[in-house]
Amino acid sequence: MAEVLKLLTRNVGKANSTNVDSYMASGGYEPLMTALHKMSPEQVLGEVKASNLKGRGGAGFPAGLKWSFLPKGRDRVKYLVCNADESEPGTFKDRLLIENDPHAILEGMILAGFATQAAGAFFYIRGEMPQGFRIFQRAVDQAYERGFLGKNILGSGFGFDVYVSRGAGAYICGEETALMNSLEGKRGEPRLKPPFPAGFGVYGQPSNINNVETYANVPLIIKNGGAWYAAIGAPSAPGPRLYGVSGHVKRPGVYELPSGVNLRELIYEHAGGILGDRPLKAVIPGGSSVPVLRADQIDVTMDPDGLKKVGTMVGSAGVIVMNDTVCMVKAMVNLMQFYAHESCGQCTPCREGTHWLKLILQRIEEGGGKPGDVDLILDVSNNIMGRTICPLGDAAAMPAIAFATQFRDEFDAHIREGRCPMAHTHMTVAV
Amino acid sequence: MPLIRIDDKEIEAPEGETILRLALKHGIHIPYYCWHPALSIVGQCRMCLVEVKGVPKPLTACSTAVTSLPPDKKIDGKYDMVVDTKSQVTKKAQKGVLEFLLLNHPLDCPICDQAGECQLQEYSYTYGEPASRLEFEKVHAPKRVDIGPHVVFDVERCIKCTRCIRFCKEITRTEELTLAERGVHARVETFPGKQLDNPYSVCTVDVCPVGALTSKEFRFKQRVWFLTSTNSVCQECSRGCSVRVDTYKGEVLRLVPRDNPKVNGPWMCDYGRLISERMKDLTVLARPKVREGGRLTAVPWPGFAQVLQKKVASSLKDGAKDAALIWSGRMPLEEMAAAKALSAGIFGGLQGTLPKVCRGEDDDLLIRKERRPNLKGAALLGLAVTGENAPVSSLLKGKKVALVVREDVVGEAQGPEKDAIKAALSAMDLVIVADYALTETAALAHIFIPLAGWHEMEGTVVNFMGVVQKMARSVLPPRDRKAFYEVASLWLSSAGIDAPEASFLAWHAQVRKAVPGMKDLMIRDILPHGVQLPEVGP
Repeated sequence: MAEVLKLLTRNVGKANSTNVDSYMASGGYEPLMTALHKMSPEQVLGEVKASNLKGRGGAGFPAGLKWSFLPKGRDRVKYLVCNADESEPGTFKDRLLIENDPHAILEGMILAGFATQAAGAFFYIRGEMPQGFRIFQRAVDQAYERGFLGKNILGSGFGFDVYVSRGAGAYICGEETALMNSLEGKRGEPRLKPPFPAGFGVYGQPSNINNVETYANVPLIIKNGGAWYAAIGAPSAPGPRLYGVSGHVKRPGVYELPSGVNLRELIYEHAGGILGDRPLKAVIPGGSSVPVLRADQIDVTMDPDGLKKVGTMVGSAGVIVMNDTVCMVKAMVNLMQFYAHESCGQCTPCREGTHWLKLILQRIEEGGGKPGDVDLILDVSNNIMGRTICPLGDAAAMPAIAFATQFRDEFDAHIREGRCPMAHTHMTVAV
Repeated sequence: MPLIRIDDKEIEAPEGETILRLALKHGIHIPYYCWHPALSIVGQCRMCLVEVKGVPKPLTACSTAVTSLPPDKKIDGKYDMVVDTKSQVTKKAQKGVLEFLLLNHPLDCPICDQAGECQLQEYSYTYGEPASRLEFEKVHAPKRVDIGPHVVFDVERCIKCTRCIRFCKEITRTEELTLAERGVHARVETFPGKQLDNPYSVCTVDVCPVGALTSKEFRFKQRVWFLTSTNSVCQECSRGCSVRVDTYKGEVLRLVPRDNPKVNGPWMCDYGRLISERMKDLTVLARPKVREGGRLTAVPWPGFAQVLQKKVASSLKDGAKDAALIWSGRMPLEEMAAAKALSAGIFGGLQGTLPKVCRGEDDDLLIRKERRPNLKGAALLGLAVTGENAPVSSLLKGKKVALVVREDVVGEAQGPEKDAIKAALSAMDLVIVADYALTETAALAHIFIPLAGWHEMEGTVVNFMGVVQKMARSVLPPRDRKAFYEVASLWLSSAGIDAPEASFLAWHAQVRKAVPGMKDLMIRDILPHGVQLPEVGP
């Protein structure tokens, strides 16, 4: 059994963990001092590249490579953005960090700013996280007081500012360019790419955007070295990883484990097994947007290669566990209601397709399904897949296709019987 | 330059050119909604998805630029990009997007004013499936929303292409419109407390590819397939926007801008466009009139020219110094040439004058304060033009005879100036007014010559930039309503003076002789976008 790590979560649970003094008492901001006084920006970037840190927002893009897309030097004003709009269903790992260890995120952002010679950063936090906002804003204020932010940080000559900005409750604003539009006060709609943020980002300046957890890894890398980091967990996407396990498990929560942990072990050992000791039915391994797995597919490692074998992705590592009481049609209705509600309405396939899928799925669940409905779901989903401006279309279509193919018998039973076969059991779960 | 293949056409294209522009330029049609040549690219309708070889998913032709590949990576050894607009992947994408677009569209074509010129209809026939697979209640939205003085909005029909939003943002920079709400409930809206009220608001109706935005003035007037269209020139300012005039049974129902990069791009102002509305209020006469016993009495054309000539000759006993000639910047070049011939032949070489009528200020898009379309033409023909809004009364005071053509000098004037003009005209022995409508000036006339309206005759006009364009005869006038050049031919003949034949072409030949740079221009050279004349010295 893989050992639970205390790297990203090192300060979680400590008294006053959000305070700058307690953060510094456990070695906080030392990596920043090291970087500012003993390293060049190129060296910091080099360590991050050597660590092979992969983005933790869902797409898993190499962070060091992303940073290197920004133009070099300080001639142009460049911005960093921290994407704290964590709103993917089943995902709650960033909130843990924001509310328990804001300075680790902040330190990571300043280090990234130093490596890329950015002028400042925007911390865009989900509107529904008022507590996280207050905590992070206080952390920023404290960092200014202690000279970790501002014009001349710790006498190094490097200046960096951080602005905290709140979202207004839209899932789409977690998409990087929609976030930037929202940040600028515009309607939260993804931008057409190219141009990419590295060339034309926030306020039209070159910008780099990373997830909360990605930034929180940076101080660890600078403290211990890229090689140390690269040796943790799965080599293709190394490092500690926060797994948020929810649903029908006995101990739901965020678990810090090496990347590439076995999914079965995560569910049965760390999360304590299935609620009510009932049979497992399905697992969504990486937040609601990735394809769902059947119970017989969970002997896989939680890394890109392992999950690719069963046709899914790590995504945000939000593991949603469903036992045999769950109606898969109803679960999919729930998800599609979410995507139809959150589609920004900008481009046609996602705007119209998610709404249509929702109606078809609802009809099946309510017993009005017609023969051919499953094929219709698949065809509509395929008409959305790869046809939209941003990944929200894919994020809605992928689970729809996976639910309808992985659990086709359950969909067919709904249509054949003209009712939900699970109707009597899914409401209550005996613990 | 990169070499690109679209279907079976090999095209050398400049780097950065988009697939859609290239395809359209080379006669390959890729369907599109949100793209518009004069607006920014948003790529959001997804109608123009095409298969690009080597790319896993179809790409939007409107936003995908041509780039060159390194020599060893060329497709089939020579192409930098290979696009297939007819492949299964492309067709599936087009069918899919069209089905989505029509999903919540009300399909109320039978009562929709856009029917017949609707891109949604047209693409459905060409690229779509005959039936929708939606078996649910459609999402409903407000209909007949009054969003501005000239525009009505049907929210249900809107496909969210956002062309109207971008027009108000990028062209007029008035920003009245935005997208509100999300997902399938997303809709175009005016900002709170705002109306779609700018000098170009009806252009949003032009850019709307569907029946969502319709013009208050034109809607339900006539099905578009019954309209007769001619290409002409707007008469309401010295810009002279290229327009298409749509008529039905002799009535001008609407003006639509014609895309002319030399003059107006794809736009025109509401004021110019709504000339069709103002024309409705005019009292239009079909026959010449002569005042007898205090009343204007209709007379037939045969013999009218002789009456005209006799009255003028008898009133000008002391020579031409007793006469005042007022021409108009509304007259096309041919009428101006005819006016010059009349000056020389009938009025003993007396020069006429054109009032320079100005209103408001020039804006930075199209509208010019000079409200006449052919003032530059007058200058090219050597006709005298007054100063800006200079009082016309001084030209008339103390004269015995006045000939006023196409200018309502009384109606345009205000206050004491108006009284002065009226007094001057009332004191005269002979006032001849030639115009399309019975104006305030015409009411004071002793002789009224009915002229063909701007839409009833041919002519050429030169706009303020020196672009000569041709007006068309959109409607055939009654026989006795003639262009002023026809009147001049008849008048001169009745005075025994040699005159060109009473036709547009005969007088146009005079114009070509007189206007610098027009000598070698054929009519077909002037159509459809006009020709920039060489700049002549002041």
